[in-house]
Amino acid sequence: MKSFFTMAEEVQRKMQMELDKYKQIQKEYQRAVSIRQQLDGQLSENTFVKDELDMLKPGAEVFKLIGPVLLKQSLEEAKQTVLKRMEFIKGELKRQEDLLQDLDKKQDAHRETLNKLQQQFQHMQVKAAMKA
Amino acid sequence: MASQDGPQLQQVDLTKLSLPQLTQLRQQLDQELSVFQESLQTLKIAQQKFQDSGDSLEKITPKAEGNPILVPLTGSMYVPGRIADANSVIVDVGTGYFVQKDIDGAKDYFRRKVNYVTEQMEKIQVLGLEKSKIRDAVMDVVEIKFQAQLQLQEAAAAAAAEKS
Repeated sequence: MKSFFTMAEEVQRKMQMELDKYKQIQKEYQRAVSIRQQLDGQLSENTFVKDELDMLKPGAEVFKLIGPVLLKQSLEEAKQTVLKRMEFIKGELKRQEDLLQDLDKKQDAHRETLNKLQQQFQHMQVKAAMKA
Repeated sequence: MASQDGPQLQQVDLTKLSLPQLTQLRQQLDQELSVFQESLQTLKIAQQKFQDSGDSLEKITPKAEGNPILVPLTGSMYVPGRIADANSVIVDVGTGYFVQKDIDGAKDYFRRKVNYVTEQMEKIQVLGLEKSKIRDAVMDVVEIKFQAQLQLQEAAAAAAAEKS
């Protein structure tokens, strides 16, 4: 009877541990989602700027805001900078996407173990009730 | 995760869900609806800004060259100035880039922006309408289920009373 009791405790402890891990991953997941949203916004803003720059005639006046001053920049240079930035953001987006997929899998795995542990625990409770 | 649930949602028979599940679904839909509402608000502000910028261009005509203006240095301090070039303006196109455009080009720019934002708003409105329809359906099912449960309880109480 005593070993039975400690076994139940063991399962409960494992469940708590799994739950903590699961919550941790959920937090990470949410963080990744908000980072991805931010990147999405930045990408679309840069796309707008690129479209706008592409529409300009060569030799048009382009300025870049650096601190409080507007600095003149050549159209070509501005286009290059925006393209490079978009490239970078796309890379970051891909990274976050992969991270999210990874976290999704982890989340599923933890959920499954949690379910198993819970079933085990319930099983034990039923057994204990029958013995008593 | 919510977006993954979306397409399947319509295939689920609402009457087969339990009350707690339905409540959860309703909460989720409420949340999504409030996100839509917020987005609409933000877009409305953006739309107004572009509209205002476009409208103020109407006042800059070649005739206005040399007109005195007050230039805001900060929100509360102005210095007198004079319009030196009434043929072009510098437009903020985002991410710190500014482009010099002639008046017609700038007007066109703002018109395009207003159109784009309006389009997005319409899209969100359609989505919001669909969501609120689903929400209403969920609410109806909740009501039906609740009534059924209530009747069941009353019947059980009546049966118990008869026995004693």
